[in-house]
Amino acid sequence: MQHLALLSFNKEKCRPFFDKLTVLFNEFHHSEEQNPDEYERLLYLVKRPYDNNMLDMVDEWMNLPNREWKEETTREVKLALYAIRYPDTLLMDSFTEKARSDLRRLSGYLHFTHHTYAIWDEDTRKGLVKLGINIPPTDAADPFIYGAYVTAIELLKDIAPFTCFLEHDVPRQRLFQAALAAYGRQN
Amino acid sequence: MSDTEIVERYSPNFEAWIEDFNEWQTRIGFDPSWLGDYRFDIKFDWDTAGNQIEFGDFEGLPKWERRMQIPQQNIRDAIISMISVQGDTEFASVEQQNHLLDTAPTEYDKKSALRIMCEEQRHGWQMAYVLCTYFGEQGVREASKLLERNAQDGTRILGSFNAPIDHWLDFFCFTHFIDRDGKYQLKMLSTSSFKPLAASMGPMLKEESFHLGTGANGLRRIVKQGVIPCEMLQKYLNKWISTGLDLFGTDDSTSAQWAYVYGVKGRYDERESDIDADREHLNEASRELYFQELREEMRRISAVRKEGEPDLFIPSDKFNRGIGRYAGEKYTIKGEKFIGNDEDYESYLISVLPTEEDEAKLMNDYMKRDWIQYREWKGQ
Repeated sequence: MQHLALLSFNKEKCRPFFDKLTVLFNEFHHSEEQNPDEYERLLYLVKRPYDNNMLDMVDEWMNLPNREWKEETTREVKLALYAIRYPDTLLMDSFTEKARSDLRRLSGYLHFTHHTYAIWDEDTRKGLVKLGINIPPTDAADPFIYGAYVTAIELLKDIAPFTCFLEHDVPRQRLFQAALAAYGRQN
Repeated sequence: MSDTEIVERYSPNFEAWIEDFNEWQTRIGFDPSWLGDYRFDIKFDWDTAGNQIEFGDFEGLPKWERRMQIPQQNIRDAIISMISVQGDTEFASVEQQNHLLDTAPTEYDKKSALRIMCEEQRHGWQMAYVLCTYFGEQGVREASKLLERNAQDGTRILGSFNAPIDHWLDFFCFTHFIDRDGKYQLKMLSTSSFKPLAASMGPMLKEESFHLGTGANGLRRIVKQGVIPCEMLQKYLNKWISTGLDLFGTDDSTSAQWAYVYGVKGRYDERESDIDADREHLNEASRELYFQELREEMRRISAVRKEGEPDLFIPSDKFNRGIGRYAGEKYTIKGEKFIGNDEDYESYLISVLPTEEDEAKLMNDYMKRDWIQYREWKGQ
């Protein structure tokens, strides 16, 4: 999956995206819906040792319903947040069914605890598809699909020209993910 | 689009230079083990560099890829000089800053500063590589000098790079104001007629954005925490901004004009601008863009200050200047002509620039408290 997505990748297709990346980022990240102040506050507030309140704050920022997880599921996920090493995603494969049922939520936890993993977002996925990187839709935390998503964003960071790199207080993964989301929304 | 080439094989000249570099690291007290798995790659972004000379009297001709394609010795000398100055600043900043690692306020700041120092060294390597690989014996000699001059001895080429950076407030001011000047210089060289120089700039600029972000975020975290009063912070801004403005060089600069004529160094917005360059005022134009950018950034930083604290602002570009038409003139931080004699002006400067008492208060009082917003290091 990962290989297929990245080997068939056409760099020229990315040029229009890179040309307006900073505008796209601002359009998405600084929208009211994204609540950028709270996002930036969470970059500081989510820190070790992770507690349920921090996960709740991430859920709230992402407009997700309350977790209906047993305590052991929460513990399982928190342990994984300590153990996982970017860009590995295979650890998700060992999750119990409940824990891996919601990739968007998990990716949010991973993002704020590591500042590297990209938030899983349908518009971002569509943005990648527009660039010729075909990541299939999913709700569940499939380690291969999410792995391809993370790697694709990492690849874009590598090949982007210097004009894309804003001096902004957000991780570069967020810069690219947010710009891709705005790009994915465009007709 | 950026298609970065990483050079795998080095010339014997550059291999020999690397040995000198290793000695330099030991001499300045930079422990190579701090680098971890970081590698000093030589990176070229040939695609973004372009194929044709973009401005000046050689506009439209193919960019020069080798020394012998450069039509005149004085152009070669100008290019060598630009590369030497750029390389000099990269190593100087590491000499100025590496002692700060022991006193980092948080692990995040320590790791960020270390990353900056690694990348500045890589930028220095890149410049030394270009000198050693493309400019024969002359280049090799200049590359050696990059490691011979020293910030602590005050022998670095540019004044700001000999100034001591005694504490972390200076570090954040340096990365915000002085590295921002660096961004301008790199961008002005990114359109250079000498292709290996232009192609070096893309990867360097990508890395530089993190350095500026570290400075801006650091200042914002200090202001947000509210332990160091804005009145004192303002004094440090006054000190560093005039230094940053001086780095753009003299007004009516003929060397900037020649560099433009040769196509060696363009304007900051060379590719974006649709008006002809005013060749007689190139430094002033770049400085003005930098000055406007500082004002924008300072509005963002000042916005997070605690209630009751005075607004932080960028002092006038006439204040405390050592270079340009206001050099040595007496102006206030608001840009008004100072009324009074030299002694009065000295007293005024003491009231708006950091004094020894301020330094003592900063380091022995404020910095003993939680003076900067905590941020966790997320690395592995």
